Amino acid sequence: MRIVIAEDAAVIRAGLTEILTDRGHEVVAAVGDAEALKAAVAEHRPDVAIVDVRMPPDHTDEGLRAAIAIRREHPGTGILVFSQYVETRYAADLLSMRAGGVGYLLKDRVANVGEFIDAITRVAGGGTALDPEVVAGMLNASRHANSLSALTARERDVLALMAEGRSNTAIAEHLVVSDRAVEKHISNIFSKLGLPPSDSDHRRVLAVLAYLGS
Amino acid sequence: MTGALRQILRAPFTRRAWAELAYVIITFPLALCATVFIIPMLANGVLWGASAPGVRKFGAASRLLARTLLGEDVPAPQPLQRYPYVRVRTPKAVPLTALVSAEGARVRPRGQDIAIMGLPASRIADLAAEDRIAIHAMRPQRTSWLRGAMRDRATWQARGYFGLKLQAGAFGLVAGAGCWLGGLFFLTYPAWWELARPDTWRLPGGNHLVTLAGSFWLVPLGAVLLLAAPWLTHAVTLPDRALIRGLLGPVTPALTERVRDLEQTRAHVVDDSAARLRGIERDLHDGAQAQLVALAMKLGLAKDKLTDTAPPDLTRVAQLVDDAHRSAIEAIAELRTLARGIHPTALDNGLADALATLAARSALPVELITDIPERPSAAIETIAYFSAAELLANVAKHSGARHATLEAVHVPGLLRIRVTDDGRGGATPVPDGGLRGLAERVRTVDGRLDIDSPAGGPTMVTVELPSHA
Repeated sequence: MRIVIAEDAAVIRAGLTEILTDRGHEVVAAVGDAEALKAAVAEHRPDVAIVDVRMPPDHTDEGLRAAIAIRREHPGTGILVFSQYVETRYAADLLSMRAGGVGYLLKDRVANVGEFIDAITRVAGGGTALDPEVVAGMLNASRHANSLSALTARERDVLALMAEGRSNTAIAEHLVVSDRAVEKHISNIFSKLGLPPSDSDHRRVLAVLAYLGS
Repeated sequence: MTGALRQILRAPFTRRAWAELAYVIITFPLALCATVFIIPMLANGVLWGASAPGVRKFGAASRLLARTLLGEDVPAPQPLQRYPYVRVRTPKAVPLTALVSAEGARVRPRGQDIAIMGLPASRIADLAAEDRIAIHAMRPQRTSWLRGAMRDRATWQARGYFGLKLQAGAFGLVAGAGCWLGGLFFLTYPAWWELARPDTWRLPGGNHLVTLAGSFWLVPLGAVLLLAAPWLTHAVTLPDRALIRGLLGPVTPALTERVRDLEQTRAHVVDDSAARLRGIERDLHDGAQAQLVALAMKLGLAKDKLTDTAPPDLTRVAQLVDDAHRSAIEAIAELRTLARGIHPTALDNGLADALATLAARSALPVELITDIPERPSAAIETIAYFSAAELLANVAKHSGARHATLEAVHVPGLLRIRVTDDGRGGATPVPDGGLRGLAERVRTVDGRLDIDSPAGGPTMVTVELPSHA
């Protein structure tokens, strides 16, 4: 994968570059602020951009605003927002355009290199990768709590894992049930949320969006 | 009983008695002169202003006499203030006018700007910020000395003092000096008998005084008057003392001003602590937190190297662990610095110890003088410590000094921190500057900051804090 990193802390920038390079990916640019990020994405058209939320000059949400702009201008580039805090509003903003090709992870997650690389790969491939904490935060903030309240506890678990961007097989492994059982749960979720039968991936995204309240 | 008697007999010969008599005699003509000076100057506002320094000089003379003769030590009032005059350009002139008018300022349109008189620029900026009124430009003009003097409260109080003093002084002079003179006169009356044309003196019930022997009847009366004179004189100075204390001393701010001051300083405390918390969060986010994330990355990678591939690339793992180790040490150092910035542990052993540590850590040689027999309250110690730290940092950064002195003296009720340097001087508080912020922080506990920094140096900055916040 060709990757652009935007992160103002030099030590983290170097660490990310090291991990990604080590795993055989190409870091085409590693920059320290939002303007340089936009320029780098426009120039290199990477598969995925890893973006820190807080960057100079104001250290508020420059990275996030740049990420939203990139999603609008370069739909082919996946965005992995990488933050030290969970702001559910940021995730909702990111997801409000399209559900795919986006991720939002806490920086801590990078300690587990394998999962981190998986998440980047999912985002680059048009999937989602949401941090469990982001998902939990959005569940609390969900404006669609009523339609979700019809779901059983197990169905909510499945939906949460879907929102994190996992495949059916991964969900089945995680919950220690069969693939068949997961499929059953998912079809129950679709019908309880009133999602008409159509392309399964599309319904999946809609379910996740309903869940995330965006 | 004998003690009291002795006191009564000795009263006319005490220093206090003579000093009070002198006071009563001298201050009446002084009050007369002051009144003669003041009254014609009441004609119009320009004369009010022009006469203010003169009136204040009369006040100073009265305070000096009261101090030396009555032992009544009244501090001088606040010096004359220039009247602030600021030109402001804002798209919202009407609401801003309403705001500043409510604070007692006068507002005049001046072309595209409005001119605001009577409020300092900083206060205008605060008011505008509170109501989110945009200010495009703010230019403090040459402030008016005359307008400030016209409205000076201390001067008006002094005028009032002399108006009242003239009457009290006339009575005091007649009663006090009259009693003394009458007493002396009657006491020595037999000696004056020839001169005093006794035949004109008629006492009810007889003509004792027409004879020399009879004239001795007045001697005891003189003695009684003389014995009473010191007490009477003392009594007539009492209202005067009260007037001097009430009218010639520092002007106590009106309650509304005090409330406004407290509002301002409270707002500053809140902003300041929010800014400090933000700063700490930033430091953590950019420093230790980033270091720890990097450390976790390296350890994660090293763990993968050890478990994933066979055989593990031990050189690479060793290098990763080495990097992680360095990150951990850096994170520890950053956390330590940060923790010290939040609360200097040296303060736990008292301000003197903490200042000694501070002086020792300073970039240039600092001579430390401390006299802190009793510890001020914890909040005051902390503010004093950070004031000293900020001032020493300023010396090292801006003054070009080769040597500095840090002085901390605590007398009951007052802690004084003073930093003196031999640098180039010219230190002024600028908006958003360290000195200005320090002055604001000191003001939140009713302390004050004085800067004496002539161009060419030396610079002396004094922070005075109450013992208890």
